[in-house]
Amino acid sequence: MDYRKLTVVALAAAILVVAAIRRPLPVTADGDLATTNAGLKSAGVLTFGPDGVLFVGDSMGGAVAALDTGDRSAASGASVEVKGIDEKIAGLVGIAPADLLINDVAVNPISKNVYVSAARGRGPDATPLVVRVESSGKLTLLQLDAIKHETVSLSDAPASTAGGRNPRTQTITDMAFVNGNLMVAGMSNEEWSSALRSIPYPFKTASKGTQLQIWHSSHGQYETQAPVRTFVPYTIDNTQYVLAAYTCTPLVKIPVSDLKAGARVKGVTIADLGAGNQPLDMVPYMKDGHQFILIANSSFGVVKMHADNMGQYKAIDSPTVVPDKAGAPYDKISSVTNVRHLTQFDASHAVVLTSAGGGGFGPPTGPFNIQTIALP
Amino acid sequence: MRLLFAVVTLALSVAAAAQSVSLQLDGNIFKAVGASAGRLTVYAGNGDVPPLAGTTAVEKGAVVFRPVFPLAAGVRYRVVFAPVNGAAIEKTFDGPARQSTPVARVERIYPSADVLPSNQLRLYIYFSAPMSRGEAEQRIHILDDAGRVLRSVFLPGQELWDPSNRRLTMTLDPGRIKRDLASNRAMGPPIADGKRYTLLVDREWHDANGVPMIESFRKAFRGGPAVRQPPDPKTWKLAPPLAGSRAPLVVDFGRAMNYTLLQRMLKVTGPNGDVAGSIDVDRNEAQWRLTPREPWPGGGYRLVVDTSLEDLAGNKIGQPFDIDVFDRVTERITTATTAIPFEIRAAR
Repeated sequence: MDYRKLTVVALAAAILVVAAIRRPLPVTADGDLATTNAGLKSAGVLTFGPDGVLFVGDSMGGAVAALDTGDRSAASGASVEVKGIDEKIAGLVGIAPADLLINDVAVNPISKNVYVSAARGRGPDATPLVVRVESSGKLTLLQLDAIKHETVSLSDAPASTAGGRNPRTQTITDMAFVNGNLMVAGMSNEEWSSALRSIPYPFKTASKGTQLQIWHSSHGQYETQAPVRTFVPYTIDNTQYVLAAYTCTPLVKIPVSDLKAGARVKGVTIADLGAGNQPLDMVPYMKDGHQFILIANSSFGVVKMHADNMGQYKAIDSPTVVPDKAGAPYDKISSVTNVRHLTQFDASHAVVLTSAGGGGFGPPTGPFNIQTIALP
Repeated sequence: MRLLFAVVTLALSVAAAAQSVSLQLDGNIFKAVGASAGRLTVYAGNGDVPPLAGTTAVEKGAVVFRPVFPLAAGVRYRVVFAPVNGAAIEKTFDGPARQSTPVARVERIYPSADVLPSNQLRLYIYFSAPMSRGEAEQRIHILDDAGRVLRSVFLPGQELWDPSNRRLTMTLDPGRIKRDLASNRAMGPPIADGKRYTLLVDREWHDANGVPMIESFRKAFRGGPAVRQPPDPKTWKLAPPLAGSRAPLVVDFGRAMNYTLLQRMLKVTGPNGDVAGSIDVDRNEAQWRLTPREPWPGGGYRLVVDTSLEDLAGNKIGQPFDIDVFDRVTERITTATTAIPFEIRAAR
């Protein structure tokens, strides 16, 4: 092949690669996404979908927004370290750091930029914020009043007969993008329910997706509706599962094939991380040929769970097991403390949001730092 | 020599220009009045912070900066103007003063009874004014009979507010309530049958404007027996009023129910469809009353009950909070609603 032909072939290949990377955002039935106000009343849980789409859980608005961040330039290898991220975001939006509430942290898998959701203010009129943090430390406020987006409403609760604003809210506790569906776990501030919703993306008009009930059994005897606190997609022996941590603390596995509309699904307990503790975030990863799950907890710090034989661990269904060490084995990781949020950065790193103090038996206190850590 | 003179003149004129620029705060807009070019930057607070988000423009002989957000109480803004030539000048401005008058207090708490079942699931705290998020774990305590703060009583990290930030739902740790879980076996239920407790809400809790409350709130209560049987509408007592009256329909449940759900999970339908009226909840949430807007027409009625209605322990109609799967006695109800028929008759 002569040089010119080679150049043409290489150029064509490059165009194809670029075209593949720059694939346009999925569009709704109505056509292209419009650049308008996303209408967020709050910005809580964050998770990335395809092509730089950032899903933002809006508990106060009873909705999820899919924001087109336009952040689709591939990057790798960089790390992020921002000390006093709360003070810096507070400075950007002109408030005292104490008046800023950081809600979640996510990493764009394409650009490796970190996104932080927060509230400007702690009262009912707080303004939702989403901030992009680049590896250079540069902060950029997403313009939520003029951004390409789609929104799906989750609210289906009847209004209170007492009049005025409906006092019922459905707090979104976690979200994940699995097999083309956005899965949303939530918790009501009125009834005890365990709804897990699966919404096809792109969002279709008037489709709130399918909803099912998640249950939990202790030792095969007592079954309870169990709201999910945090969950991650996970593959065990070529089968797609979600690993979920319930508000009553056990870690369970649920086959995705079980998650059908109206189903009553019971997760199989694979570990119980102990009394008085709440798992906050989980990151599954592979290291030296072994599978692990890094779990940040409210009061137990960070633990590394050995996950090679997750399919084989016998479900905790016998009252004779030792409560704290049942199921999958794990090690406590003492090199990182006061972790408030944990999310995957790349195959060998995670991003953590740490607080100077608090946690466990009190709210975390600033300043907060964002940093990448090597997966242990 | 002439060149030196020119340089000195230029330097003097630049200095004069910088001195003639006045930095001002006009409402929510920062201005470098007297400048037609240059960089106007605003910083909120001290330390290594990025510039305040906003837009700059040149308007009517001034460089102006409009922040994206309104100025906030208690924040000092540092304004720096860098002219095209010459030294930068700066000035600080204070945002609006913080409010300081306490206005918030705890108005009421549900359940309202002085004895709570040891498997009590949730508390609903009503405030007189919107409150700050993110402080609940620090400000709400349950004390034992010796006044010691009990640990690991509430589900951590979950502040469930209504949209007005005036009602907070606190969930007692379900891992301690649900029988046979690790937390339940290690620590027992958060509330023990027969023990005395005090619920304390600290005065230091900030309202939405950052002002502490008027006063602390204390409520003494005692742990009672766990409630394991689901509520059964067949055992409820209905007292229908007379036709033509506007007296309330009274429903007695025989146990305390979830106050928030009683506001929307019961309704009455009759000869003219759903009955509009006002709801009252009384007798420590064991009684529900519907006072109709219009007098009751005589005829057949139904009290329609959403089966998601809960008692204090999260037991729903026909479904206990933690179902004993070996217990085959309990009647399971799987429909979304159940109904109790009743008659409203004319006075004799």
